[in-house]
Amino acid sequence: MTQTIPIALTVNGRPRSAEVAAHHTLLEVLRDDLGLTGTKECCLVGECGACTVILDGRSVDSCLMLAVEADGADVLTVEGLATDGRLSPLQQAFLDKGGVQCGFCIPGQVMSAHALLAHTPHPTRAEVEEGLAGNLCRCACYEQIFEAVLSTAEAAAAADEEAGR
Amino acid sequence: MHAFAYERPATLAEALALMQAHGSAARLLAGGTDLIIRLRDGSARPSVVIDVKRIPELDPGIRVDAGRLVIGARTVMTDIAADAHVRRHFLALAEAASVVGSVQIRNRATLAGNICNASPAADTAPPLLVYDATVVAAGPDGTRRIPIDAFFVRSGVTTLVPGEIVTAIELPVPDGPLGAAHQRRTRRRGHDLASVTLSVAIGGSGTTRLAYGSVGPRPVLHVDGSGVLADASATAEAKARVFEAAFADASPSPRSMRAGPDYRLAMLRVLGARAVATALDRLAGE
Amino acid sequence: MSADGTGISPTRVGTSPNRVGGIGRVTGAQQYVADVRLPDALEVKLVTLGVAHARILSIDASAALAVPGVQAVFTAADLPRPVPRFGPQFVDRPVIATGETKYHGEPVAAVAAETKDAAEEAARLVRVAYEEIAPVVTIDDALAPGAELVQDPSIRPNDPLAGTNVLREHRFGWGDVDAEAATADVIVEGDYTFPMVTHFAIEPHAYIAAPDGDGIAVWSTIQHPNWLQRILSGVLGMPLSKVRVYAPDPGGGFGGKQHAKYEPLIAFMALRTGRPCRLVLSLEETFQAVRRTTTKVHVRHGLRTDGTIAFVDVRADYNIGAYADIADRVVAKGSYPAAGPYRVPAVRILSRSVLTHTVPATAFRGFGNPQVNWAVESNLDEAARALGIDRLEVRLRNVARTGDTLNPVDTRCDGEWDQSVRKAAEMIGWGRPLPAGHGRGIALGIKSGPTTGLSYSTVRLLSDGSVIVLAGTSDMGQGARTVFAQIASTELGVPLDRIAVVMGDTSIVPYDQQTSASRSTVLMGNAVLSACRDVQARLRAMAAKLHGIDEAAIEVAGGVVRLPDREIGVMDVLKPGLGRMGGEVIGNGMARKDAEPDHPLSGSAAFFEFNCTAIETAVDEETGDVTIVKHVTVSDVGKALNPLQVRMQDEGAAIQGLGHTLMEHYIYDDAGRIRNLGAIDYRIPTSMDLPLHMESAVVENEDGPGPYGAKGMSEGALLCVASAVGAAVRDATGAELHDLPLTPEVVWRALRERDRRRAEEVAR
Repeated sequence: MTQTIPIALTVNGRPRSAEVAAHHTLLEVLRDDLGLTGTKECCLVGECGACTVILDGRSVDSCLMLAVEADGADVLTVEGLATDGRLSPLQQAFLDKGGVQCGFCIPGQVMSAHALLAHTPHPTRAEVEEGLAGNLCRCACYEQIFEAVLSTAEAAAAADEEAGR
Repeated sequence: MHAFAYERPATLAEALALMQAHGSAARLLAGGTDLIIRLRDGSARPSVVIDVKRIPELDPGIRVDAGRLVIGARTVMTDIAADAHVRRHFLALAEAASVVGSVQIRNRATLAGNICNASPAADTAPPLLVYDATVVAAGPDGTRRIPIDAFFVRSGVTTLVPGEIVTAIELPVPDGPLGAAHQRRTRRRGHDLASVTLSVAIGGSGTTRLAYGSVGPRPVLHVDGSGVLADASATAEAKARVFEAAFADASPSPRSMRAGPDYRLAMLRVLGARAVATALDRLAGE
Repeated sequence: MSADGTGISPTRVGTSPNRVGGIGRVTGAQQYVADVRLPDALEVKLVTLGVAHARILSIDASAALAVPGVQAVFTAADLPRPVPRFGPQFVDRPVIATGETKYHGEPVAAVAAETKDAAEEAARLVRVAYEEIAPVVTIDDALAPGAELVQDPSIRPNDPLAGTNVLREHRFGWGDVDAEAATADVIVEGDYTFPMVTHFAIEPHAYIAAPDGDGIAVWSTIQHPNWLQRILSGVLGMPLSKVRVYAPDPGGGFGGKQHAKYEPLIAFMALRTGRPCRLVLSLEETFQAVRRTTTKVHVRHGLRTDGTIAFVDVRADYNIGAYADIADRVVAKGSYPAAGPYRVPAVRILSRSVLTHTVPATAFRGFGNPQVNWAVESNLDEAARALGIDRLEVRLRNVARTGDTLNPVDTRCDGEWDQSVRKAAEMIGWGRPLPAGHGRGIALGIKSGPTTGLSYSTVRLLSDGSVIVLAGTSDMGQGARTVFAQIASTELGVPLDRIAVVMGDTSIVPYDQQTSASRSTVLMGNAVLSACRDVQARLRAMAAKLHGIDEAAIEVAGGVVRLPDREIGVMDVLKPGLGRMGGEVIGNGMARKDAEPDHPLSGSAAFFEFNCTAIETAVDEETGDVTIVKHVTVSDVGKALNPLQVRMQDEGAAIQGLGHTLMEHYIYDDAGRIRNLGAIDYRIPTSMDLPLHMESAVVENEDGPGPYGAKGMSEGALLCVASAVGAAVRDATGAELHDLPLTPEVVWRALRERDRRRAEEVAR
């Protein structure tokens, strides 16, 4: 018999509660129970990163954790990046630099890049390569994705300088 | 994924009681980066999954205590790779932890989980062997300290007895200069399971500890007291003789799809030489 | 600022606006098939056997049906008799396995249940009794005397090859190869193999079918919705008008989503259960659904001392798997340009489609050409070496110039290809000194564009001046939406944010033959262009009526209406022209390339895709590691309608090509099972596997048949990646390479073989 467990978590800043099956992954609950289909399903073995979300500040493959493990956690998905209908600078840079082709890997790429910049605001190219290595892009617009991430970091640094920070 | 019951013990005692109650029907869930894959592909079909992440006794954290570095069982690879103590005293472990999977994996995968899976290819096993780590395990009869070399049996099997839970891994802080390095072979530069892993640690006294994995049922430790590997002026022939002895226990499977046995054996020698060279450089810089 | 002072400008071709549809892709709002949720849908799980080839004795579904929530366990017994078959080229693939399975992963049953969990649990409980039969897995297995036949000979009566595993033989050529061989100064030959690789689109294939009144609606990750509609209409016996195919933008196609796979099965299940049925494949299941043809090629080049090519003689066997899908067309079209983009007086090509008990192969970016290119370009290097001529020089000496004859019965050389070659050579620094352990390679690739084609488009100019473009292309990442919007923007003077491009609904969008062969910019682009011109003509008529002047005195272009005495805007005509009732101006366009029955491919190339790739590598002699120090790719694109998208396509194709070059391959066991299903042991390039430097460039002479002189592009940069990398490794090390992928271990073995050879030479 399927055991269901009540969980409460914060998703994209909103408190959410759900009655989840013990054996369902966070990915399944986000997509099927909470209707957040921006997070994508591909390899289900933690290799492709299409399901990347940010859990308590760290990027994780949502296919490799049970939803019940996220009880009490703060989860950020791709749907939570834009605010008031405005794209985040990173999302905008992905469009401006041509980091998006078919788009299926992009929610994961953007989340990994978001986490990378949160921890390493001024990454080198090597750090970007390493930071995004867990997100496969078969269209292979890696070069453009790097440009998007690096230019977002540069723009943030320039804005900080401008503001005297 | 098949249905199972989920338990989230709040104390070690509760967890041990659950392990007693469910026996082999239970599986421990730490980082989950291996277990969830196995639950999905059906190679593990427990009826109960016991999540150890809310047990304070297993808390993540790295601290130095009485000359030992104590790594809590739930410490994830990201934190091990970045930890100042680890980087200062146990660089080969930091190097190994930093190549386990992708960032997302390293944010979840724990050191304890990595060794409990006992995969011959586990990257963290060779450095733990060269640093002479001890596994601390709690069981119904109390706590046991298992030398890491006595921990691995074969793929998926350790000397933990049913009902035991690893609570920490301890490494003795070296009392003198030590140069160490970790090397691996993979099929691409991006994250990959290694077809050969190898660590060395060379002490100021000239003793070299060398460990390697992914070339047999369990990782292997070889201690070279001859001083040859630590001697930058030793001849290639002399070093080759030491490597022959060190790698005598390598028995790579001909069935592996990751690399052929002859390639693996050849790479052991290449990685051995490279790791020794790097370790000697580091030792000289100490 | 626009000329009319509105502050909004058209986004013309030749510029790189942000991708149309891009916002949904970065916010997660984009709805792919797996994101479509229909109320009351049943989840489907396929039942497969752990063997390649087996006779099915019985299927016992009782335990599966007892799982709560299971609605149906569907097998061949639930289908009309004989079990319907389908396929784009041969009608050979059954809707579900009937009597036997022919490859590891062929479904023998399918479970429909209220939840995924129930479907998965029940699929595990379906008991299939079967008798395993030794499979033929390799080309050698299949061609061995007395080999088990993969296909029942009755499927192709009157075919003399029906009693063999050769589905078809293709012979192309011209001139007298034997006569040339008698006089050639050097003849060099070699054998080359290309691995079995899969598309690995990050979006796994997904299908939903739902009863829709007296018809059916089917959602699929398909590249060719109209072709799928035809296939479904055939197997279901429904008129086209009752089969509605929704094709949301695929999350990567690369050819793997061109043709129907499980849509007929899901459609039958939906009709049987009366409910929507939904099947989302796992990545592992996509490995068992689509792959590239793998090849063994023998190539022989004859050259004269001055470096001119005297003849090319190619025998290419392609392992196409258990059902033909479109693979025999891949074989024909992929081997046809085997002589390369060169002037060659005599060419002989024999290619064969070989059936085996492996995953049915299908189209994959490059369509059979990269396989042969690897052999032919590598062998040309060996010929240059034998003659002591520089490898770039031999290519420049032979590469065709505009108007030169390639194949005498086909389109002539349609580009200044030597410009691409010279550019690539310059970018890679050909001839300059290299560090020790480094090497360079250069290779040329050519591919026939579409040989037939038919695309319709409708462009609707709405009463407020905004525009809807209907175009049946699938935008799977190549950026077709953006390019079509740019064409409409250029022609009608409307900014991009006032243009919607509607695709992927066969009940609304006019017919498009297919999204393949890098055709859409040319064929659908021309259809959109002609639909815009039709709108312009209607505006001209409208203006003539309004102003009481002759239509011939009015010109409409780029959003401007030129009357004899002044220029006015489109809105100045549209508003009064439509009047108070509103309405719209509808333009229709079509682009067509007819078949040519006597042509060896049933049609000449609409254009050629041409690319030159140049590589610098560094090789680690101890480990066999290959580092791509620099990767240069130059394509002849006619005109880059969106330069950034062209760059993305070329660089993406280049990196995708590094996959089959360096790391990708299926590994089969002796029983014909794929051992490395899924993402753990099938490696594709990550962000850490890129060239240290990647540079792409284009040649633009506006000499293509598409809008504004564009040619098709997007496959070119993949065609000769392996050839250029292999040549660079050979140059760096002297090791001979014949088999891909060039994993460290493969290169290490080639280095040992080189050492052995050298030692032998010294001993002599």
